[in-house]
Amino acid sequence: MRVLVCLKQVREPESLFELKDGRVVWPPPDRFRMGSPDDFALEEALRLKDAGLTTELAVVTVGPPGAEAILRRALGMGADRAMHLLAPEGARAAVVAGAIAAWARDEEFDLILAGVMSEDARQGLVGPFLAERLGLATVTGVSQLSLPEDGLLLVERSLEGGRRQALELPLPALVTIASSAHTPRYPSLSNLLKAKKADLPTEAAGEPEEPADGPELVGAAWPARRRAGLCLEGDARQKAEHLLALLRERALL
Amino acid sequence: MSLEQSLQGSGPVVAVAEVREGRLAPLTRELAGLAGRLAALWGVEARLVVLDAAPGEPAATAARQTGLAVTALAAPELPELTGEAVARLLAGFLPAWQPRAIVGGHTTLGLDWAPSLAARLGAACLTGVEGLAEAADGPRFFRPGRHDKLVEEYRIEERTLVLTVQPGAFPAPPEEPLQPGPVTEITLPRPALRVRVREARPGVAADAALARAEVVVAAGLGVGKPENLELVRRVASLFSQAAVAGSRPVCDLGWLGYESQVGLTGATVAPRLYLACGISGARQHTVGMQGAGFIVAISQDPRAAIFQLADVCVVEDLLVFLPMLLELAGAGRGGEGE
Repeated sequence: MRVLVCLKQVREPESLFELKDGRVVWPPPDRFRMGSPDDFALEEALRLKDAGLTTELAVVTVGPPGAEAILRRALGMGADRAMHLLAPEGARAAVVAGAIAAWARDEEFDLILAGVMSEDARQGLVGPFLAERLGLATVTGVSQLSLPEDGLLLVERSLEGGRRQALELPLPALVTIASSAHTPRYPSLSNLLKAKKADLPTEAAGEPEEPADGPELVGAAWPARRRAGLCLEGDARQKAEHLLALLRERALL
Repeated sequence: MSLEQSLQGSGPVVAVAEVREGRLAPLTRELAGLAGRLAALWGVEARLVVLDAAPGEPAATAARQTGLAVTALAAPELPELTGEAVARLLAGFLPAWQPRAIVGGHTTLGLDWAPSLAARLGAACLTGVEGLAEAADGPRFFRPGRHDKLVEEYRIEERTLVLTVQPGAFPAPPEEPLQPGPVTEITLPRPALRVRVREARPGVAADAALARAEVVVAAGLGVGKPENLELVRRVASLFSQAAVAGSRPVCDLGWLGYESQVGLTGATVAPRLYLACGISGARQHTVGMQGAGFIVAISQDPRAAIFQLADVCVVEDLLVFLPMLLELAGAGRGGEGE
């Protein structure tokens, strides 16, 4: 079985961006990492590989130069092959899905995994868009995945209020992962060293087939605070003292 | 329906009801309210579709609660709907109406069908919408961006739009309309489906202690590893009537049981005090706790979304701050002779 995992490079969440005229500006240095839950999707794929169920485990990302760092990390974790499709940071979901579809169409993957949504934009569009383009059976927001012998993929997910749904679908399929019981593993040192030297193939992302007149981002603003948002000052001890005083004042402690 | 076929609807704004286990979910009234506002903005009609194996009763309820014209779409052979089924059924039925927009819930099922439907209709798609404003050139939509740390504003060209709406973002009007809307029932042919529901089972009931707790101390992925939950438990033990809860990933990882999950796929709680430890503040979680009396959030990330709804913000490393809090609280208690 040939498996593909789609990964996205995201800014470290602690990177403090600024807003200038409604646009996000990142102060240097640029700090990136593999987004979550993409890392959970990769871990699920690696477990299929560990179980001897894969003939190949490939990873792909659509992003600017530099985004291949997460591909090297994925190789370090145990992926067999990587592909970097070049596109500007923040490319729209239709563009990302179009780029992956154009490349993956001839690869004939049996199973494609991705995070249910990217860690930063949280739109949840690339997976379903890609499935529609490739004509794959698809389920989103899964937290358990298994492959019994009958050629069907079994998945489970949580619905609103905690209801659980167990679903089956035939391969080839695309499944997006919300989270899972399996903590993403660390890369092994020997794999990382190999991955560092590996020559990663790069292609320019193809033009999307769909008209690109999707929703147009016209600006961004800081959200309104919905409560007081008193920010405690000082060192950890002073903050803890202040918090305890506030809780006692309100008879909460 | 091919991808190339792009809808440019001049027809109604269509809200898609949320039906869970045969009952109309309260979110439906919020969707209908937003559909009504959008329809008024564009000068078109607002309609509601109720898709279910047996839509009669939820459709009647929806007509009474919203006053909109309701179309009950019956899929009698599909007792448990999947995103694939909803996307295919709606992609077969809705194009005849040339909808201007299709409004669904930002829920597990909504996120399962909305992007697929948009792709099938050649429509644009915007998920997690939380706000609407009117500009000279048409409506502006707002959704959270960048780890939910800011609010993004979107404009849409003259093209059919599929959107999913954050539960609770557009409160429904308190009263029911004077006149119930008319209901039309249509039975849809069964589409060819590849995804099959094997089993659906009710969720794990929320922990009774969590439901009645006056203080909830909640852990997010920011606690780092399961061993650190011990700190969270010890902080909870400072209070009487306290319970420990977790965000979705913490429960999916098995660090805490599902009975302790707070959020969209878990429990909704409103304790007097909610102490959020290492929780980023994703909407998935905050819809389950935003009604708490007093919210204290501890995170290392000064821009964490959880701070937007906190009464008190503590920017600190949990592994430094919680032991400090325990030490000082313990000292205070000793002084009171407890």
